[in-house]
This record gives sequence, structure tokens and C-alpha cells, in this order.
Amino acid sequence: MSIDAEQRALHRQALTATTFVEIVDALVDDFDVIEVLTVLTARSVELLEAAAAGILLVDTDGQLRVIGASTEQVGLLELFQIQNDEGPCLDCFRTGTGVSHADLSTPSPWPQFAPESLRAGFPSVCAVPLRLKDLILGCLNLFMAEPVALSDAEIALAQALADVACIAIVQDMATRDAAIREGHLQHALNSRIVIEQAKGMIAERVGIDMEEAFARLRGFARSSNRGLTEVAEGIVAGSVAVDSITHGRRPPPPPQAARQQ
Amino acid sequence: MTTDRSLRIAVAFARAVTKSPAEGLCSACVELLVVSGAGVTVMGGTNSGPLCVSSQRMATLEDLQFTMGIGPCQDAFSIGRPVHVPRLDGSAVQRWPSFVDEAREAGIGAVFAYPLTTRGAKIGVLTLYQDGEGSLSSSQHDDSVAVARVLTETVLSLQDAAPAGVLAEGLENAMTYRAEVHQASGMVSIQLKIPVAEAMLRIRAHAFAQGLPIGVVAADIVARRLRLTDDSQ
Repeated sequence: MSIDAEQRALHRQALTATTFVEIVDALVDDFDVIEVLTVLTARSVELLEAAAAGILLVDTDGQLRVIGASTEQVGLLELFQIQNDEGPCLDCFRTGTGVSHADLSTPSPWPQFAPESLRAGFPSVCAVPLRLKDLILGCLNLFMAEPVALSDAEIALAQALADVACIAIVQDMATRDAAIREGHLQHALNSRIVIEQAKGMIAERVGIDMEEAFARLRGFARSSNRGLTEVAEGIVAGSVAVDSITHGRRPPPPPQAARQQ
Repeated sequence: MTTDRSLRIAVAFARAVTKSPAEGLCSACVELLVVSGAGVTVMGGTNSGPLCVSSQRMATLEDLQFTMGIGPCQDAFSIGRPVHVPRLDGSAVQRWPSFVDEAREAGIGAVFAYPLTTRGAKIGVLTLYQDGEGSLSSSQHDDSVAVARVLTETVLSLQDAAPAGVLAEGLENAMTYRAEVHQASGMVSIQLKIPVAEAMLRIRAHAFAQGLPIGVVAADIVARRLRLTDDSQ
């Protein structure tokens, strides 16, 4: 190995280690998944000597979306694949396995994508899946400026980077999911409490029991076309006058501002 | 969680559920974790409701923490980590003054509170009571962490099945138990022309000052046997 090549190999080793530390570091506590993915695209370009990289992720509707791209041009090339429903990234996503093509000027399975990629100056492409067991979340796409294939070792490194990114994404999904579920429970608990509080307020004002107070509260909510919890919240917060319920008359329509919320 | 541990927990819970859903959960905790008593509280913000308690003695202690708004349970919830009180000694007295007195009187020697938490979401607390003093064994601790995880998932999955904004049927008794406290807060807020949250504080203060369970005070207010006055605080 020439001194120059040796230096480059050493540099790459150090950068590989740094990249993994960087990504794992980002996973601690409150991380931003987009930031992790941005680091991933930037580092895969450096490490694999690619010209550009892009990441596609599947959304809740099962549609692929461009999440990160090292250059604007690559972002457009990724979009082109989605719009034309053709390209290495889509094949990689559908099969869950790596896809590569060393020279797009030779026949490829992508008659629309190949000329577009060549025009953009990327004759060689490689895509590795972002997957965790059976769950395929998207893929990492690498674009090279020369018509050369990535070595097996380089593809393995790309896959390792994608695997780490996948952990970040899955973790982020689970955290969001937990926050949403906590929110639902919280909302249901608060709704029960606020209804009991409003019942107490009505019962005291009119001098009736809780059952009767609940019947009035429900009657008011129905006739004003509002939810029971919403009305109860209004009473407790003071924005709905207890008197408007106690008198049993038809309530005035809610103010414009309240309706817009 | 090892398969062995999760299997033991699943079996204990499954057996408990065939008895009576909520009550069963706490007796399963007592049996599984080999403690004197247990309570599971569902919490959201400053509100909380007991989902189950293993006995009346534990209900009193859980109520007491709610009345005063302090205790190992609240601490475990707010810091999101277990709080171990192997001895109700001086430092425990300093941290939760009257709770420790009452707990001692009830014959409790140690308290261990485990938050029901998952990925930053906090939904309640599992509190374990021991008659004797002393720490939990490390396997008791591991089991408690595992049980707390199972309870968290159980509570969340019960609520997942309910329509938005409606409390799941299985969690209803966490709220019905304190329904009167909230009704009483509404009444007092009208009587004293104060916000509901402040009315709740007045009721808590009254219960504490009179040495009565908060539920008893609330029931008296709702039945109009008791009317708090402006200077009753």
C-alpha cells in the first residue's frame, strides 16, 4: 500500500469510528431524528467517497418520502424515483435488500431513472435498506460520480450506518407513540374530573343532587351542540356561566373566538 | 425482561384478572413481589386516582398521600425513578412529615414506589408497603421494575381501546373512587367564590387538619352536612 493509500485507509477508519460514536451519542435522551439522519447522509458521503446521499422513509400511509439529501440535486433525483415509481431506492425498499448498479449507461431495470441519474452526473448508484427485522422503514441511497461499483466492504459499512439510523428512527417512533398514548389517558382522566367538578358547581348553585346536575349539564351540552367535556371545562374555567345552565334556557351560541379554537 | 420473569408475571396477572379486574391486580402484585401490601395509582398532572389497593390499610395510606399531595408516590412520579424508603427514619420524616407518622401508626416499616413509565411518558405509580423495615432484595427490585412495566402497558392498552376522551371501563374505578372529591370541589368553589383548584386545596387542608380521610370530608360536603367557611383553612 502506498503511503497515500495507507493514510486514507487510516483516516477512513477514524472517521468510521467517529461517525458511530456521533450517532450513538445523539441517541441519548432527547434527540432529533432528523439531525441524526442528516449526520448519516453527510458521513456516508465522506466515508464511502460517494458524490451524494439521500434518505427515503415510509410515512404512516405507506408512502415513501425524501427525508434527507446531501445535495438539492439528489433530493430531486429521489423525488423523481417516487413520482415515476421506479428506481434503485424503490426496489430496495420493496425487497428489503441492497440494490446497486455500477454503470447506468449499460442496461438497467430503470429505463426512466437511469438517464435522469446520468444527466445529474451519477453513473453509479447503491441503495441499502433501513430495516429492523421485518420492518422496512426506508432506504439510504448513495450516488457516485464515477461508473465504479462499491466494494462489498463498503456496502457492508453503508448497511451498518443504515442499521444505526434505523435504531434512531424506531426509538423516535416509540417515544412519539408513548407520548400520544399518555396524552389520551391524561385527556380521559381530566375529562372525567372536570365533569364531576362542573356537576358539583351546578348542584350547589341550583340546590339539586349530582344526578340532576349531570342531567342538566348533558341537556345543555346537547342543546348547544357541544361536547359534554367542552361545556364542563367552560363552566370550571368560568367561560360558561353556571347560571346559563341552571335556568334551563336555551344557551346563546358560543362566541366566534371560542368556535375557531 | 427475561422470558421466565415475564411468564411468571403474566400468569399471576391472568389468574388475578379472572377474580375481579382491578382488585386482582394489587393482590397479584403482593403475591408476586412478596410484600405486605400494594397500591396502583393512575396519575395525570396533579390529579390521581387509585386503580386498586390490596387492602383497606393501603387505601388509607394512598389516600393520605393524595390528601397532602406529598409522599414517596408523588416523588417517584415526578422524578420518574423508583423511590426506596427502607426505614421510616428521621430523613423520611423530614421529607414527608405527616405521611411517615401515619404510616408508622398503620404498622408500616418500609415503602417502595415505582413509577409507571415508558419512554418519557408517565401514567402512575406502583407503591409497595412492607410491615417490617429493610430493603427489597435485588430480585424483588427487578421483579417490581418488571411488574411496573407490565402495569404501564396494561393501563395504556386498556385506554387504547376506549374512544377518545372517554376513560376506559377498566380504569373507571380510578376515578369513581374520587368522584365525590371533585364534586365537592365544584360545590366549594361556588360557595366560597374561588377557583375549583383552590377549592380542592381547601378540602385537602380541612381533611388534614381534622385528621379525616379526604373521601369522608368530600362525602359530607356533597351530602350538605358540612360547609367550609372562608376561614376554615
